[in-house]
Amino acid sequence: MTTIPVRAVVPHIGSAGAESRRWRAGLRQTMRAEWTKFVSLRSIRWTLLVTAVGTLLVTFLATHGALHHPPGWYQGFDPTNQSLSGLAIGSLAIGVLGVLVVTGEYGTGTMKASLAAMPRRGVLLTAKIAVVGLSTLVVGEVLSFLSFLEGQAVLSGGAPTATLGQPGVLRAVALSGAFLALFALLGLGLGTVIRHTAGAIAVFAGVTLLAPILLNSISHFIARFAPELIFANSVAATVNQHNDAVSVTIGVVCMLAYCAAALGLGAFVLHRRDA
Amino acid sequence: MIVTHGLTKRYGKTLAVDALSFTVPPGVVTGFLGPNGSGKSTTMRMVLGLDRPDGGSALVNGCPYAELSWPLREVGALLDAKAFHPGRSARNHLRWLAQANDIPLARVDTVLDLVGLTAVADRRAGKFSLGMGQRLGIASALLGDPGVLLFDEPVNGLDPEGIRWVRHLLRDLAAEGRTVLVSSHLINEMALTADRLVVIGRGTLIAETTVDDFVASHRSDAVRVVTPTPQRFVAALSRAGARPSVHDDGAIVVSGLSSADIGELAAGQELTVHELTPLHASLEDVFMELTSSSVEYRSHAPDQAAAPDALPAR
Repeated sequence: MTTIPVRAVVPHIGSAGAESRRWRAGLRQTMRAEWTKFVSLRSIRWTLLVTAVGTLLVTFLATHGALHHPPGWYQGFDPTNQSLSGLAIGSLAIGVLGVLVVTGEYGTGTMKASLAAMPRRGVLLTAKIAVVGLSTLVVGEVLSFLSFLEGQAVLSGGAPTATLGQPGVLRAVALSGAFLALFALLGLGLGTVIRHTAGAIAVFAGVTLLAPILLNSISHFIARFAPELIFANSVAATVNQHNDAVSVTIGVVCMLAYCAAALGLGAFVLHRRDA
Repeated sequence: MIVTHGLTKRYGKTLAVDALSFTVPPGVVTGFLGPNGSGKSTTMRMVLGLDRPDGGSALVNGCPYAELSWPLREVGALLDAKAFHPGRSARNHLRWLAQANDIPLARVDTVLDLVGLTAVADRRAGKFSLGMGQRLGIASALLGDPGVLLFDEPVNGLDPEGIRWVRHLLRDLAAEGRTVLVSSHLINEMALTADRLVVIGRGTLIAETTVDDFVASHRSDAVRVVTPTPQRFVAALSRAGARPSVHDDGAIVVSGLSSADIGELAAGQELTVHELTPLHASLEDVFMELTSSSVEYRSHAPDQAAAPDALPAR
């Protein structure tokens, strides 16, 4: 083991010439690397499992609890919204996943290897956004439709139900799936800014769990802009059951803005601070 | 080839690296030597573009690291013993690194075999010992078959067999024409591995030289004399123009005369000599002396009494 069968190389003095500069490691290579990282970690797989099980379990409980009530109880009842209840839990778990993708690297020193492989930090962050965004979009859509179908199946045992063909239902289900991806990106942005797992998860929990409660005590008007309230009352609803819920369009724009702010700040910090 | 020019890094008020300029040529092992906290790791991090310098530049093959087309194919680095996720297997760690720079995946098996981790390649790296972690770090550095290699304290946590292996590996890599920079705070380890030395203390350059020149230029020859009549001997030595000093154990350490001269002197004056030993400064002594003023963290142990074989205090 004392001799090394590595191919002998001519020292690369000044080898960064025109030929190699035209063709260099970029987003494609970095995304492939990020994908391998993403699928090769048990913690990521566990978080995805928690997301799925949590979502489907809560949906079951929420829809089961809506069965066999007197007819008056179903005044303004939104079977679609009811069957998407579990996604609130899913959005928390998948946000934690977004946090872990980046804080897990800082916590273990992997970030140094990542930046050594791709020193252009904007490219690295873009690759992470693409891989996390696209994979959680797929997971989110699958979960959202599963949750809807599960919920309707339970509700058919003794409550009003909805079908995807009814007005606004397909929109609510599809957009809810996409919102899970946005929560993951929000977590990714916060993780990039904060770098520490515990701190970033605490802030994420503050934004998602505490913000609605705290803001509500200040003003209902402001509280409806909290991410989870946009999700539950605007995006996942087919009838505007809460008069103070923001419109779907405004809700989506707000959520996109939150993600852009977190990721933008993350990009700024990633560029400015030492790794 | 690595060239730094006026490299400077400040952490708050502390100047971690202070206008550091040195060159690491290909084909030899260059030891990067300094006490703990002298700025070795910070310098290496700046070479890799992980830390932004407050001044100066670090170029790899004439290029800032961030502008390298395929960084892992040009530069391999071992910075931390555990710069990998403990939940990922060694093979998957190397796989993503390979994909990031379009390195053929066959190289993963090659380097795993090279560092002797093939048998545990699919186990979670978090279960690895420190030494196995070092081997994985070395595998990562060699993955892209790079012409420039940086190793920060590579023998940390390795057993004697592993230390020997790393020593040979570094020398072989250099013999293939690669640029090899290896940091250490252990001068004796460097004496066995390196051809050239870059010595720093408190972030400034103390010496940039070959190991042989480093020892030769700092060798101060002294002779230890044990005699039953120290007073007469000291007087005779002083008359002869030497600089004797009497140590606690009664031995006289003489500088300014060779052992042959002292022998002749003793014979001429009929002085009894029980012991006449030429002393050579060890590499460690030279290193300690050079960096003594620049040690950041010093333990306040009771005054170390001069060991019998130590040089006289200046």
